Amino acid sequence: MDEPRMEQQTPETEQPKQREFRGLYKHVKISVKTLDRIIIACLVVILVILALELRNPGFTITFDSRGGTDVPAQNQMYGEKLELPEPPTREGYTFTGWYRDPACDLPWVVEVDTVQESVTLYAGWEAVESP
Amino acid sequence: MANPVTTIRRTAEEYRLKDKKDKRRFWVDGILNNALYILMAIFVIYTATQKETFLTLGSLGNLLTQVAAYLPMALGIAGCIVLTGTDLSAGRIAGLTAAVAGVFLQKADFANKMLTFLPKVSVGWILVTMLIVIAIGAIIGLVNGFFVAKFSLHPFIVTLSTQLITYGIILWFFALNGNNGQPISGLSEQYKNFVGGTMFRLGGVAIPWYVLYAVILTAIIWFVWNKTTFGKNMFAVGSNAEAAKVSGVNVFWTTVLVHTLAGAMYGYSGFIEGVRSGSVAANTGLNAECDAIAACVIGGVSFVGGTGKISGIILGVFVLRIIFVALTMLGVESSSMYIIKGAIILCACALDMRKYLVKK
Repeated sequence: MDEPRMEQQTPETEQPKQREFRGLYKHVKISVKTLDRIIIACLVVILVILALELRNPGFTITFDSRGGTDVPAQNQMYGEKLELPEPPTREGYTFTGWYRDPACDLPWVVEVDTVQESVTLYAGWEAVESP
Repeated sequence: MANPVTTIRRTAEEYRLKDKKDKRRFWVDGILNNALYILMAIFVIYTATQKETFLTLGSLGNLLTQVAAYLPMALGIAGCIVLTGTDLSAGRIAGLTAAVAGVFLQKADFANKMLTFLPKVSVGWILVTMLIVIAIGAIIGLVNGFFVAKFSLHPFIVTLSTQLITYGIILWFFALNGNNGQPISGLSEQYKNFVGGTMFRLGGVAIPWYVLYAVILTAIIWFVWNKTTFGKNMFAVGSNAEAAKVSGVNVFWTTVLVHTLAGAMYGYSGFIEGVRSGSVAANTGLNAECDAIAACVIGGVSFVGGTGKISGIILGVFVLRIIFVALTMLGVESSSMYIIKGAIILCACALDMRKYLVKK
């Protein structure tokens, strides 16, 4: 029979006195109700952000083979490394790799580069010297 | 005069109402006080349904290594929080000691070796380096502790300034010998093996030696907190410095020593951090203290002061790491991760206050 004892200790007429904070919260004046709201608000924020993040199905990596055989686009999540597709082929050229820019100055390094956004990769071609 | 029977009946009615209210209160309290654990459970369950690799032994091994890496800093900072303070310099101290350890233990034949006069790396030299970097951390901690204890300055102010000063020293250090701020790489194999070598394998994931070191450190800190006079004094000072002073506790030395011990822990964190990330950059350790503080608060080391348990800190680090491992697996971007981290810290503090207020 716990309840009756509790009833005696904190009669309804007397408001239970809130404890005073010590330490880093010394000057904080806040009620349990407000704290509850803050906690719930934080949880809601976290879950909403997570939901927004997960709605994003990832980033599209488009491959522009620039005259070579078509290469299908890939869908990757943030921070993942690319698994490069079968290299395209092109008559009279050899494939030199995938580049971030059409001028073929910035190569995509498979071992290091991770997906940060949707990108288009450009195929690099070198003309085969005709004998 | 009221009819006694009606009075009794009414009170019985009230009791029944009260009982319902209490039950509701019980559930609300239970849910809110454990909000972060529930959040973690949601993350784990959701991630498990999305990625089948999440609930594997290898994933557990990965989690274990992460906890072992983050635990020492949290153990250090927890002492400062028990003293109703905090420490903002932790991450930078770890960054500095990581840089020092990295330079001291570079490969002898590495082309960009910064300090060429250093001896060849051997086990003895690794141990000496470890002691040196722990001492560097302890000295900065001593400075923190001295200013906090001597002038009763708020640790926020003191550790904020040492954080910036330490960062300045880090940048100086990275400019040594024409290094020009380049990351320190080419760490020697002995150093890598000493810290990150495989102790055993768990589900195909290598468990490095620093997991063992973290266990040893945790045991030491547990002993210091629970079995020594210093530890008891720390809690006494944390819960009421005035009362502790009156009962003969040396508040000055207790405060200084807590910060020094914390600094030594950050020094050790830096020592393993270099190997963990493969190279040391000027920004290594940035904001690491936020994770450590959050883990402590989640684990029940209250900002109110004077309360905290080692087991709580371990649990806190675990919860935080599980959440972040899950988020990383789900492919959440780092920008969103920061917002989630901030919300978790705010939530943990609110929970901390709430627990204190509703405690009977």
